[in-house]
Amino acid sequence: MQNVLAILVPRADTVGRAEKEVMGAAQRLASQLNGQWAVALIAPRACALSRQVLVCGASKVFVVDHPELVEYSADPYLKALEGVVEVAHPHVCIFAGNSIGLELAPRLAYRMKSAMVIDCTELQGVSGGHVQITKPVYGGKAETILVAHNPPVTICLRPRSFEPLNAVSETTGEVHRLTIEIEPSLRRTKVIDRIVEESSDAKLEEARIIVSGGRGLGGPEGFLLLKELAELLGGAVGASRAACDAGWAPMSWQIGQTGKKVAPDLYIAVGISGASQHLVGITRAKTIVAINTDPKAPIFKVADIGVVEDYRSVIPVLIEELKQESSA
Amino acid sequence: MHVVVCLKPIIDPEIPLADFRIDRESKRIIQGNANLVTNIFDENALETALQMRERAEGDIRITAISIGTSSSIDILRRALSLRADQAILINNEGMPELDTFATAKILAAALRRLAPIDLILCGREAGDWHGGQVGSFLAEELSWPCATFVSRIDIDGEHFIMRRQTDDGWEVVKCQRPAIATVTNDETNVPRIPKVRDSMMAFRKEIPIWNIMELGIDVSAVRDAHVTLQLRDMYIPEVNKRCSFIEGEVGKEKAIRLLHKLREMHII
Repeated sequence: MQNVLAILVPRADTVGRAEKEVMGAAQRLASQLNGQWAVALIAPRACALSRQVLVCGASKVFVVDHPELVEYSADPYLKALEGVVEVAHPHVCIFAGNSIGLELAPRLAYRMKSAMVIDCTELQGVSGGHVQITKPVYGGKAETILVAHNPPVTICLRPRSFEPLNAVSETTGEVHRLTIEIEPSLRRTKVIDRIVEESSDAKLEEARIIVSGGRGLGGPEGFLLLKELAELLGGAVGASRAACDAGWAPMSWQIGQTGKKVAPDLYIAVGISGASQHLVGITRAKTIVAINTDPKAPIFKVADIGVVEDYRSVIPVLIEELKQESSA
Repeated sequence: MHVVVCLKPIIDPEIPLADFRIDRESKRIIQGNANLVTNIFDENALETALQMRERAEGDIRITAISIGTSSSIDILRRALSLRADQAILINNEGMPELDTFATAKILAAALRRLAPIDLILCGREAGDWHGGQVGSFLAEELSWPCATFVSRIDIDGEHFIMRRQTDDGWEVVKCQRPAIATVTNDETNVPRIPKVRDSMMAFRKEIPIWNIMELGIDVSAVRDAHVTLQLRDMYIPEVNKRCSFIEGEVGKEKAIRLLHKLREMHII
């Protein structure tokens, strides 16, 4: 298992943190396996983006740039990926664990008859040239160690679990532009509308401080308080799945197994009981403060600091104190 | 129109951590007193189908299908009590644990038998192994178009209009028919509770049981046809944290102490 392929499908005009994490994981795995790593870059204007990939130290970048790739759709993108795989012969394919990675990875795996794992939190090359994968199961209650003895294996990384690869001083890599036939008729799904939600969304995964609310808030108005507190602390607002399901907070605020995985310095969980599906999203938070009326709530098992109290008598005081200080 | 919803029976992933046990030898979860439940995203998938039927004109037939042992019957019974029109169990009693490739092959064979089908719904992933593959594998197996992370579906002539979650919001996609969708949760597809009357009706319905051999699937041949992973270990990760509780008479006192503590720690 020597050939590691970092598969990048960036939606923005920049190579972001998610892509750099994929490259970081690929580079480290390849070096543990005494192998090589390369990048597949599938995006509109991929050639322009390839420079940003080269400065991260990739030695080989396979680029597919095609009019059919301007608008993202799984079918033409899979066709492009198949073309890269044919040339690159990867033993390990690594995707970001975002919505595009989670959509493309299993379908490519199926076509390659590859083993497949999503939500990988650790990746290691072990003796015999095998790949060892750590993956939480049962909403994080348990962890598994999986070993791939034979290639190929396809992996989606859990966001923010891998060190991103940063720019190097010297770039020596080369870009291979592939010409791949992509028929317009491949496109069987078409985007007819796109809504970007008003939220602290982009900020959530990068935020240093997050104030997050759950079912214990008792209603949507609780989030107004949390928002005020977050703003005073220079942080972002998050929510548990229960709060999102109840419609109190937009889906894009959701933190947990099926939402965002965050890694702030300070995570303040307000009225969140701590269902395992939520805890999965905050394992990388440095300090967790839990405010909850129920001293037996599982959130206190993972919290560093606990406040057993109704948030309505705590949060307004915090807001008041912080306001007074900023005006003093 | 015929819609099939795939329901995976799983050991309740929300059992308290204190009751959660692993047999290190066999690397399996010990079920203990935990119930077998429908994977939550599959419940969202059924709810999405029910809502689509309520909004649509014309006849829509909903079939629920599961792979499981006879103890999974209750899951299908529940789907019937939520007014799925029929339910089918594919019995895997005595079979080795199925991987995602085998699951997709078996489901695809069953789906071909249920044809014609216009729409297949699966949850985005299961709450036990979080594989996140079966829906996509089915799309590949059947060569049907597929939309992922969907929470609402409407019919528009020969197309489906699907609302799907993206990393920063939503997309509405138009998808050719027949299609597959993997379903995620949002505020619109929270699973409903069955009505008592419907539950009673559900008990009168027969649930056909198919077996895997009958479907023409040789599980070990499927396993040999693709790369598999070895499960080397399974364990409960240790949490070494000890929570320090802020003491105080009233909320205000605790709030101020909390603020002091965070300052002391140079976090804010």
